[in-house]
Amino acid sequence: MAKDPSAPPTAILAGTLDLLILKTLSMGTLHGYGIAQNIHNLSKEALRVEEGSLYPALQRMLVKGWVSAELKRTPTGRQARYYKLTASGRKQLAAEEKSFHESVSATTRVLRSAES
Amino acid sequence: MTLTEFFGRLIAMTRRKRLGQELAEDLEAHIELFARDLIARGETPERAFLTARRQLGNVTRLREDSRDAWGFPSIEAIAQDLRYAFRGLRRNPGFTVTVVMTLALGIGANTAIFGVIDRLMFRPYPYMSEPGTINRVYLESIYRGQPSVNTVFPWRRYLDLERAQSIGTLAAQSESRFAVGRGEETRIRHVMGITSSLVGFFDAPPARGRWFTRTEESDPSIPAVAVLSHSMWTNDFGQEEVLGSLLKIGVTDYTIIGVAPPGLVAAAAGPPPDVFIPIATVPSNVDRWLSNSVNTNYGWEWVQIFVKRNPGVSEEAASIALSDAYRWSRASERSLNAYVTPDSIARPRAIAGPVKQAAGPGGGAQSSIMLWAVGVALIVLIIACANVANLMLARLAVRQREVSIRLAIGVRRRRLVLQFLVEGLVLAALGAIAGLVIAQWGGSLIRLLLLGDSTSFSLANDWRTLGVALICALATTLLTTVGPALSATRADVTTSLKADPRAGGGHRSGAQAALVVVQSALSVLLLVGAGLFVRSFVNARSVALGYDSTPVLDVFPDFRGVQMDSAVVLAERERLLEVARAIPGVESAALVDNPLFATRVFDLRVNGIDSVAALGRFSARIASPEYFDVMQIRIVRGRRFSESDRSGAPLVALVSESMARSLWPGQNPIGQCMRIGGGTLPPAERAPCTEVIGVAENTAQRNITDDPRFMYYMPAAQRWPQNMSRMYLRMASRDLLGARELVRRELSRAMPSDGFVVVRPLQEQVDNQSRSWRLGAVLFASFGALAFVVAVVGLYGVVSYSLAQRRRELAVRVALGARTGDVLRLVLKEGAGLTLIGIAIGVLVALAASSRVQPLLFSISAMDPITYGVAGVSMLLAALAACLFPAVKARKTDPNEALRPE
Repeated sequence: MAKDPSAPPTAILAGTLDLLILKTLSMGTLHGYGIAQNIHNLSKEALRVEEGSLYPALQRMLVKGWVSAELKRTPTGRQARYYKLTASGRKQLAAEEKSFHESVSATTRVLRSAES
Repeated sequence: MTLTEFFGRLIAMTRRKRLGQELAEDLEAHIELFARDLIARGETPERAFLTARRQLGNVTRLREDSRDAWGFPSIEAIAQDLRYAFRGLRRNPGFTVTVVMTLALGIGANTAIFGVIDRLMFRPYPYMSEPGTINRVYLESIYRGQPSVNTVFPWRRYLDLERAQSIGTLAAQSESRFAVGRGEETRIRHVMGITSSLVGFFDAPPARGRWFTRTEESDPSIPAVAVLSHSMWTNDFGQEEVLGSLLKIGVTDYTIIGVAPPGLVAAAAGPPPDVFIPIATVPSNVDRWLSNSVNTNYGWEWVQIFVKRNPGVSEEAASIALSDAYRWSRASERSLNAYVTPDSIARPRAIAGPVKQAAGPGGGAQSSIMLWAVGVALIVLIIACANVANLMLARLAVRQREVSIRLAIGVRRRRLVLQFLVEGLVLAALGAIAGLVIAQWGGSLIRLLLLGDSTSFSLANDWRTLGVALICALATTLLTTVGPALSATRADVTTSLKADPRAGGGHRSGAQAALVVVQSALSVLLLVGAGLFVRSFVNARSVALGYDSTPVLDVFPDFRGVQMDSAVVLAERERLLEVARAIPGVESAALVDNPLFATRVFDLRVNGIDSVAALGRFSARIASPEYFDVMQIRIVRGRRFSESDRSGAPLVALVSESMARSLWPGQNPIGQCMRIGGGTLPPAERAPCTEVIGVAENTAQRNITDDPRFMYYMPAAQRWPQNMSRMYLRMASRDLLGARELVRRELSRAMPSDGFVVVRPLQEQVDNQSRSWRLGAVLFASFGALAFVVAVVGLYGVVSYSLAQRRRELAVRVALGARTGDVLRLVLKEGAGLTLIGIAIGVLVALAASSRVQPLLFSISAMDPITYGVAGVSMLLAALAACLFPAVKARKTDPNEALRPE
């Protein structure tokens, strides 16, 4: 079972929501709830994506052509959109991953040098 | 935005409804899946669904954020706001019309004033090339202890400056009015003389033919040439082929060699010229004697000078170089005339200043009037803004609940503020459009009233003025909308939603009160200004002039340079006088030397007085004996001149009462001896006695405010009868319109050869004297009335709104037994209180400005208590009326209806 649900989750770093969604989708086709759950689980329940941010972000990615959607039946029997990474989404993921790592290592270097 | 994204958004825009449904399905699925997981962890189904839904948060905002991806939200939001704004404004026509008209008056007044002032002072002349390198030359010297700036100079000065400087190219122009044409077609026209160098200051290739050359300009043996203005070519010649034909200008026949491009006016300070001629041909058109000495003499000032600075020469450097040249020129002038004031006293200097004279040093009455106009127009705009802001506040107060609901359901505040801004923008745009219509004819009106310029004023294609209208509109939008919108959306949602909608927000905001105070203060300020100027004007009009000029026509016969010896001229003038006397409706006719407010000064000697000049300025009028009949000047003692006071008879004169009192206090002035000399006369000490034969009433002939009116009159027969340049005709009827044309026709027919006459009512010259007060009166009275109406309407609107909100409170009071008087007192106290504060502030500001206004007034103190009192009381009464009507209406509310639950 997860940790105490009332404990505040760690905030998602600004600008990384798209990256997290793309990465999650690179592992397979998912509906919105599935994406949120996956991020939650993969982060060892540290990160929680707000639905109020998740769905608008998905709409943006749809018009940008990074993801595509198809209607499928959910386990509860409702027709909902399942999102899938497109070729340009894959490219975007690679680019965002790269720049994220660069940014993190650069930030880390600054933090370390300031400590020593 | 990438291309993919653009098309993605475009496609999404067309499928928006389906995407909305899909999103709704997504969210439902989300809730179901979430709930399923919770149930799996042991929650009851109801609680699971409740938690899942709560977890989803503000669905409205989620949908709105998602919708942002489908289409182009910022553009669409504005379009939507526009639709919403128009719908809202259509639903409140009263509010819309009030606001639009208020803004239209404010924006219109400012646009019109700017359009006029821009043309007058700032806009470069059409076709001028590199206007930044061209200056008008102003020459300044100290005259009688006062610095005096001149813009019109002798031709010799131009030649001197041209020779003595090397910082640029000099050019000159002269503006004159000459008779143009022949016979019946002859009309007085604006003729501009220019140097060929001035043509080079403009990039103005002629529409037909060519400009004159330097040789044609300077060589008197070459026949005179002229270039028509485009408008004269169009209006008088129907754009026919005119090159090579002759045009009589003044006394000379000119060959037309070209037509100027449309709109070219050179650097005209006055009205647009009708025809351009080489400046060197101007003097012979004015006076043969002058034309002979124009290259050497400094006596006649008639040319304006311009300089195009060489590259790298600053205005300061040009001023310094021209100042040196000016001093050099004065030295050469001194060699001709020893009376030229030494440089140590005159401190001469040249200024390379703005080409537009009105923007230059000593810009004169026009610019100061226009600056006043700008100030007054800005005040009107501020009042209009205050008024509109106030109405907006009141309207938002009514819509507070709507705003709160929208905030509560998750509409973002930025979005709401933007919506109010769009609404304000729509109002300001409508106001600006209406304002431009007002400015279009207002501008013409201002030019006519303030500048006496009747040339058309068009705003089409006038981007500078349209730009100012736009800026005004944007500024009013910001001023009137941002404050109210921010305060309305800042409201605490819970409080305003909890409040009983029927109770209304009972309290008027501090901002509203402040705006009412500002409005009434500014209105009072303008009303005081209006009162002071109107009373100055009335005072000026009611000055006892000492003569009656209303039924008098001033006739100027122009012989157009026909060379006649003085005996012939005299005979011609006498003959014309007889012709004039025979015209039906002419009661009496006299020969007069000069226009009404142009008098001569001679050297005057009187036994027993060391220096008559030290007592003041004694002005002379020379006229034929009928002058006193024509002008109806009363003879107080003695007699007027008669036919027997002719040349060769003992010299006689009449003096004014004040002159008699000043020169011979306590004595009988009749029979006294004055020696009159100087000018072209022999020196006064050697002049024979001129005997005083009568005393005339004091008359205003220097200007209407002149005091003490020292005047004396001499018979034309004894002093240069051939120089009586004009005739005054007293008409039987005071209606001069028909008489004027009749006299012009009859006398023109009697003129020899190409001669013609100019006929004007003498009253025009008198009216011109009170022009500045009339301008002030018109300006302040019209804008003051405007501001007053706007302020009262504003107060009315605010009180009405505030009462509408307090309907319930008032109904309760009435139900509890408050009488009509109590309710009225309640409302009036509020409105009157604010107005009184405003009046006090307005009066204080007016008092503070009084010392600056005083020199512009006539026979009234700038602190005149009656004017202040009337302004304050009218403002207060108007304010009370503005409160009273809504209050009475509020009193009539049926408590039953107001208190019944909705």
